[in-house]
Amino acid sequence: MLIEYLPLFMFAALAVLLFSGYPVAFVLGGVGLGFWLLAVGLGLENDRSFFLVVGRIYGGVVSNLVLVAIPMFIFMGTMLERSGIARDLLHCLQVLTRRMPGGLALSVTLLGVIMAATTGIIGASVVMMTLLALPVMVDRGYDKPLATGTIAASGTLGILIPPSIMLVVMADLLSISAGTLFLAAVVPGLLLSALYLLYLGTRTALNPALAPPMAVHEAPEGVVAMVRMLLGGVLPPLALIAVVLGSIFGGVATPTEASGIGAVGATVLAALKGKLSLATLRDVAERSALTGAMLFGLFVGATAFSYVFTLLGGHELIVAGVDAVGAGAWGVLIVLMITVFLLGFFFDWIEITLIVLPVFAPLIQQLDFAGHVPYPQLTVAWFAILVAVNLQTSFLTPPFGFALFYMKGVAPAGVRIQHIYRGIVPFVLLQILGLAAVMAWPQIALWLPAKYGG
Amino acid sequence: MTMAAARLLTLADGLSALVTWVGRAAAWLAIPMMLVILADVVLRRYFVIGSVKLQELEWHLHGALFLLCLGYAYARDAHVRIELVHERFPPALKAWVELVGCAAFLLPYCGAILYFGVDYAWLAFERAEVSASQTGLGARWMIKSLLVVGFALLAAAALSRLIKAAVYLFGPDAARPRTGFETMTPTQPESGLHMAAKD
Repeated sequence: MLIEYLPLFMFAALAVLLFSGYPVAFVLGGVGLGFWLLAVGLGLENDRSFFLVVGRIYGGVVSNLVLVAIPMFIFMGTMLERSGIARDLLHCLQVLTRRMPGGLALSVTLLGVIMAATTGIIGASVVMMTLLALPVMVDRGYDKPLATGTIAASGTLGILIPPSIMLVVMADLLSISAGTLFLAAVVPGLLLSALYLLYLGTRTALNPALAPPMAVHEAPEGVVAMVRMLLGGVLPPLALIAVVLGSIFGGVATPTEASGIGAVGATVLAALKGKLSLATLRDVAERSALTGAMLFGLFVGATAFSYVFTLLGGHELIVAGVDAVGAGAWGVLIVLMITVFLLGFFFDWIEITLIVLPVFAPLIQQLDFAGHVPYPQLTVAWFAILVAVNLQTSFLTPPFGFALFYMKGVAPAGVRIQHIYRGIVPFVLLQILGLAAVMAWPQIALWLPAKYGG
Repeated sequence: MTMAAARLLTLADGLSALVTWVGRAAAWLAIPMMLVILADVVLRRYFVIGSVKLQELEWHLHGALFLLCLGYAYARDAHVRIELVHERFPPALKAWVELVGCAAFLLPYCGAILYFGVDYAWLAFERAEVSASQTGLGARWMIKSLLVVGFALLAAAALSRLIKAAVYLFGPDAARPRTGFETMTPTQPESGLHMAAKD
């Protein structure tokens, strides 16, 4: 029967229509409504059931205390960016690492980790990093593939390392605690950063011409000036991040509470630097509101879409399909990993998690990895981290790496797409290494939450 | 420019100005939101007064903030798009995408949410629905009505965009520059682009 396959048509329609370039949030809502009307027309559904979508939007997106963390983390990141704290931080990191070959590349990696919350999406994150750092690196005579690879990889990495908006969304969709996911992401995120730093350090040590060091006169002279710069530029933002993460990991605050404190803290830092005018405050509030509306618009659209998808029997179809193949837990995991990987060519994390995770969530919760995952209650968290790490690779893989297009769009003249392609190869290899490690040894992700989390 | 086209564009600009005004005003809600969270944390940790009211106020503010900015974000073209093919479209094709998108997707979607959302808010009002928690906030109809208001503003933004696309495609040549489609550029990674312009 054709009707049984309606959910598949729904997915196909979505996939095709998204490429029209009309906002994703509205395509999701429109396709959801369209297929609901179709189901009503076919007599499959009563003509009042869309009412429940409104209830879902209210219950799942509006009155959801966990999601309150998202606008607050966005506000915190935007405040750090707009008040110039982020730029000062980059400058300080540059000065600190100036004697090292590749110091600027190392600084960019660190900054990428800190700044990801500003934008919430990888496209914007990579654009910001490209604008901030690439012209400086090119001027300094950095090898272009090395420079572009570093920026794309760090811009993408930031979305994995807490405080990460993506992890809040994943936790909500999979009904696990955001704090647990934050803890689980720490070691894999640090593992990837360490691999990047190690690679950059080795490569530039072997061939210093790839990354010429900073000219001496750009650095402050004398110990006093140096200490002052450190106290002013590096310590405040790092302390803020430490307080936010520390209070979550220490069990003192929920991610929502920590996000609010982070937002207040970033505002206070901006005020202490004398950068907090009414105009800045308005600017930060409006930018954060736009980013937040974009994210929650998608949330609402995806709610309508996945509700109608379920109504049409989409979940049963998927479960039956997987059963028919008889793939088992590892089979499901691998199919999902490949799906996420392929979707990453075209879509940002937000579409992928919001569309794919609700569809697969019932399946994921039943997966049995007994014997492989040492803490059965954390299997879903392990799975979420695998998806998160997997997304890192899919955004960078040519020919369709999502981050690469954004980067090319704003890169200075003279940086060619071939430079970018060559630049990301080593980072993709490192990411695959990281993904394989987390897959083979779930303890990498789960050791921290098992020890300290609930 | 014919009178009709000019009038339509004036209407479109008016709608867009309205949603923008509301969105910019609502953006300030982030500030009470962080202060409420701060107050909640301080009271809970240091005075051991956990307050359900404050926590409910947090998500009320979050709901109001994003609902009232949905339309504003569309007016500013901040909703994420798959740019892969779209960015290479000529302006006329982009106008067609917006025209068909508004007419076939966004406006019906808003219509359905409004149709059922009004019932939803009305039900809460009629039953004088309050928090499930005894110490929570009352008057649930208020936040539920904001869902309706938010989608009404989104519909207004959609109507504004629809008019502009239609005038661009079918109106007199002289009216085209005012529709903004000749210069429509992807503004999605906006924070970065602005920063470059400023520094």
